[in-house]
Amino acid sequence: MADQRLSRYASDSLSVTRRGSLWVGQFRCMASPCEVLIECESKAQALEPCALAQQEAMRIEQKFSRYRDDNIVHRINNGSGESLQVDAETARLLDFAQHCFSLSDGYFDITSGLLRRAWQFGSGAGIPRQRELDKLLPHIGWNKVRWRAPELEVPKGMEIDFGGIGKEYAVDSVHKLLKQTTAASFMVNFGGDCTASGPHADGSAWITGIENPRRRGDASAVIKLKAGALATSGDVFKFIQQGGKRYGHILNPRTGWPNPNSPLSVTIAAPTCTEAGILSTLAMLQGKDAEKFLDRQGLKYWCYR
Amino acid sequence: MQLKHRQIAGLLSAATCSLLCTPAQAEEGEWDVDSAILYYAEDNDRVQAIEPVISGRKDLGDEEAVSFKLVIDSLTGASATGAVPSTQVQTFTTPSGDSTYTVAPNETPLDDTFLDTRVAFSMNWEKPLDRNNRRNYGFNVSREYDFTSISANALWQHDANQKNTTYSYGANLEFDQIDPVGGVPEPGSSMDDQMKGANSDSRNIIDLLFGVTQVIDRSSLFQINLSLSEADGYMTDPYKLVSVVDATSGEPIDQLFESRPDSRSRQSLYGKYKKTLGNDDVFTASYRYMTDDWGVDSNTFDFTYRLKFNQGYFLQPRLRLYDQSAADFYAYFLVDGESLPGDVSADYRLGEMEATTVGIKFGREYDQQHSWSFRLEQYVQTGESSPSEAIGQLRNQDLYPDVTAIIAQFNYSFVF
Repeated sequence: MADQRLSRYASDSLSVTRRGSLWVGQFRCMASPCEVLIECESKAQALEPCALAQQEAMRIEQKFSRYRDDNIVHRINNGSGESLQVDAETARLLDFAQHCFSLSDGYFDITSGLLRRAWQFGSGAGIPRQRELDKLLPHIGWNKVRWRAPELEVPKGMEIDFGGIGKEYAVDSVHKLLKQTTAASFMVNFGGDCTASGPHADGSAWITGIENPRRRGDASAVIKLKAGALATSGDVFKFIQQGGKRYGHILNPRTGWPNPNSPLSVTIAAPTCTEAGILSTLAMLQGKDAEKFLDRQGLKYWCYR
Repeated sequence: MQLKHRQIAGLLSAATCSLLCTPAQAEEGEWDVDSAILYYAEDNDRVQAIEPVISGRKDLGDEEAVSFKLVIDSLTGASATGAVPSTQVQTFTTPSGDSTYTVAPNETPLDDTFLDTRVAFSMNWEKPLDRNNRRNYGFNVSREYDFTSISANALWQHDANQKNTTYSYGANLEFDQIDPVGGVPEPGSSMDDQMKGANSDSRNIIDLLFGVTQVIDRSSLFQINLSLSEADGYMTDPYKLVSVVDATSGEPIDQLFESRPDSRSRQSLYGKYKKTLGNDDVFTASYRYMTDDWGVDSNTFDFTYRLKFNQGYFLQPRLRLYDQSAADFYAYFLVDGESLPGDVSADYRLGEMEATTVGIKFGREYDQQHSWSFRLEQYVQTGESSPSEAIGQLRNQDLYPDVTAIIAQFNYSFVF
């Protein structure tokens, strides 16, 4: 019986190995290394939650990735402006995106993905010309979208992209699922965005490091996390250097440009990964005022310049 | 104000909650069915009830839903009539007027012809008007052999402040018809005379509700409701009696049919606080203050704490505290020779009392498909058993017997 259940979850791309007193499930998803750390005795106990985590992450990637042509995002982005009916989960994400848009005065905007056409990070291309951006900006702005659950009407030429919340949403969803499945203490970590279910059995915290972008490869801050989430936004890997200036990949949807005085990275501790992710992105867009914005939020943060 | 000066973490938290803390939702076209059986038993052979309940809700999509509920109550046992005990055997006429029953010395007179089956059915339809407004219409009918009740209600709910605040406005109209066995007794007349008038009488009730629900943060919310109720018509309980006792011996010499005012205005204020703790436990506290123009003021405190365990098991202790003041026209008994008041009732439910309910609920939620739970509660109601106005033999009688009841309920919910 147990074997049958396990084989249902078994997957070639999942490795489950021992690390100290923990079992660690590793797989790749959403272009990130993903890990689930579980405090349990045997591999058999770890296998099911790890496999469930992988399945859930894959499901979310499949459903919301903009790089696929078989999902709801593709249908929305390739329609001809007519109204489209979406399922309940997509509706919740759209509701959430709408809240974030209005809370952030438009700094968070799931229609801003179009800017990728002008900004080609990591391709060796330079920064775009203003007139390229001017052509795209009229097609950006959540306020131009008509959303009345479950009907979505995205004007032709516009696109939506859940990239700004997808990974954090996946971490929180996996967390929620594992919470229902296992009594063991666990941590979900998708490329540095992570949540902890609670302290270790002996009451101690999970220990995770965040990298100082100025001293790569060297965890400069050790964070003890008992429960809750961490998420990081930063320009450490994706930027364009031109004319002595550094242009990070976190773009202001209202201007099409990154804020020139952004920190290198912002890490925030919040109850959920989704909140931490949105707030760290918004902090990056505040440029020189990032710390001022972060202080107002009343959450613990690590901001590197 | 610029974003850098604004605290948005709190509102973001609430929005994240709606994203991640979605309650189990049935797929469109499926019925969510909740079935339960409740057993209620008062001690000393008083009222016993077995109550099966089945309710269903069908999601029609686009947040539109219909629901129904069917309750069948089967009551047996005896209920206190309001008459005082005596040192002698007492003889009472049954409500139908065609037979009598006796009550042993020093026993609280109970009407043991009490046996009834009630069937109640309600239907509800909810439909959103737009993203922030929902309306809800309902219809209820309840029938037992001497009582019929029909009511209709409408509720409008408006979401504001990013759905963090919900305002509710509701109204309910109810019409009740009472067909007492043997006819409607003449209020204040002697049971011995069996003065019965019309076959039936009726009353109308209008209820208005205004409520605000506020999400405080991702783990807590507060709700406050104000309700007004106006009832007009026949409010008397045709089966309740008031004893007239001798001014010296305290022995009952006559039994009168009770009499209540023909209107009742009630106001109530209800507040509820609900908090989900870090370990997913849920704490709920509520308080209700009710006051009416009969002089009955009551306070209800209700606390529950839900402990969550692995695999969906939960345990929920509960404590409820209730107290009420007596109606202005409540009397343990009347004294022979004194002038008769306009209205009088000895119904213990209108007397001064305190009640405590202690209970525990245990259950398991499997997934979004089904769950079960079992609830066991003890209800204890106490009042003044030896009031200072007692005279003669009544000083030795229990004039307000305690009521202790056990409530057991099993619930099973599923989707089909």
